[in-house]
Amino acid sequence: MILDWAIIAHYFPFLLKGALLTLEISIFSLLFGLIVGLLAALCVLSKNLLLQWPARFYVWLIRSTPLLVQLFIIYFGLPQFGLNLSPFWSGVLALALNTGAYNAETIRAGILSVPHGQVEAARSLGMGPALTMRRIILPQAMRLIIPPLGNNFVILIKDTSLVSTITLVELTLTAQRLIGSTYKPFEMYLMAALLYAVLTTAATLVLRQLERRMAWGTA
Amino acid sequence: MPRPVTSILTLTLVFSLFTPVFADELTSIKQNGKISFAMSGQYPPFNFIDPNNNLTGFDVDICSAIAAEIGVEPAPLTTAWDGIIAGLLADKYDLICGSMAITPKRLESIDFSDPYYRSGAQLFVGRNAKIETAGELNGKTVGVTLGTTYEEWVRANLPQAEVRTYKGVPEMILEVVNGRIDGFVTDRIVGAIAIDEKQAPIKLAGPLLYEERMGIALRQGNPELKQTINAALKKLKEGERYKNISLKWLKIDAR
Repeated sequence: MILDWAIIAHYFPFLLKGALLTLEISIFSLLFGLIVGLLAALCVLSKNLLLQWPARFYVWLIRSTPLLVQLFIIYFGLPQFGLNLSPFWSGVLALALNTGAYNAETIRAGILSVPHGQVEAARSLGMGPALTMRRIILPQAMRLIIPPLGNNFVILIKDTSLVSTITLVELTLTAQRLIGSTYKPFEMYLMAALLYAVLTTAATLVLRQLERRMAWGTA
Repeated sequence: MPRPVTSILTLTLVFSLFTPVFADELTSIKQNGKISFAMSGQYPPFNFIDPNNNLTGFDVDICSAIAAEIGVEPAPLTTAWDGIIAGLLADKYDLICGSMAITPKRLESIDFSDPYYRSGAQLFVGRNAKIETAGELNGKTVGVTLGTTYEEWVRANLPQAEVRTYKGVPEMILEVVNGRIDGFVTDRIVGAIAIDEKQAPIKLAGPLLYEERMGIALRQGNPELKQTINAALKKLKEGERYKNISLKWLKIDAR
């Protein structure tokens, strides 16, 4: 089979436009997902049960249900209770809550892997729990957290394709819509796949750079 | 650009299950200066994406003309057909303007304007297929768009056929070409135009299965909005505009 290059050249700019929306959704979800993940991780590790149990419940709930169902509950279900978010914010909310739960687990594991002796040493120097977390634990945990966190980011970028089901004309829906008028599924999905690969590869490279910078003081 | 602050505020406030006071939506539509209407975007020539990536077609033109009559900006958008009523009920758009047939079952949950065109269900098969009527589909595989009246009809009337559901007509044409399904049921005009303009290798099989009247769907409890749409539609039909739009997209006058 020979690719229809004329079709590819004509439609590529439209797919690029879809990819921009995918990027925008990814960035917002990534930022909110990080904040949610960090907060949830700290709550899960907290000794205060009023913080710990809701956070545990959140992580359990998100990890045990499909993202598509979560997205539909937010988009189609919440308006029943008066909460009518736009498609964009419905998508960002669902993705941020979803990736947040996975980030929470990643961050929690990173914090727990810092040897307890570090905490004892900090405490013996007179540091309080908050200062110990900020100055001693988190900087060391970061190195361990970043590689798996990068993995979560890549998954997040790919998961944004699910928001094509709630009227957002991002990369996947752009391809789908154009197939309706071109009857060229291979060319359209191939271009979409390539653009996803560009986005995820760029994210991976940025994170690798970050990883390198964080690697001070290790053998 | 959507506003995060408002969204977060809503998030924190709304769980108090506050019940809004319902007013006719015509007022809010006029205040916003914009009317949004949904369609699948997978239903040429009624609604589809043109080579410049614009949503266009008969439905878009008719509803844009109605919006102009009301004096507001038209805002067409696409969504999956099987979730289109759920989206309307969830306030995601003001209308469904996507060739939706008026049926008693749909009238239980949503309201419709007067019909804006008539057509009917038709079986299409591959150009070289031996199938002559729908009755010969027993044991064969037939495609329908998920959530359409055609899906209901096929399931009720062709129990021996294997039914496969799709997101739109172009997908089903590809499936017939690839030999994955023997035929599909859709609107007669839709299939006829695909054969005529896209040289789709399909043909009509048998007579019209049944006739349908398509309306613009709106949420229940909006008599003023409905009346306004009907008045605008009537005006379009009386003048030349409806006829011009119809001839442009459908090659026939579908009144």
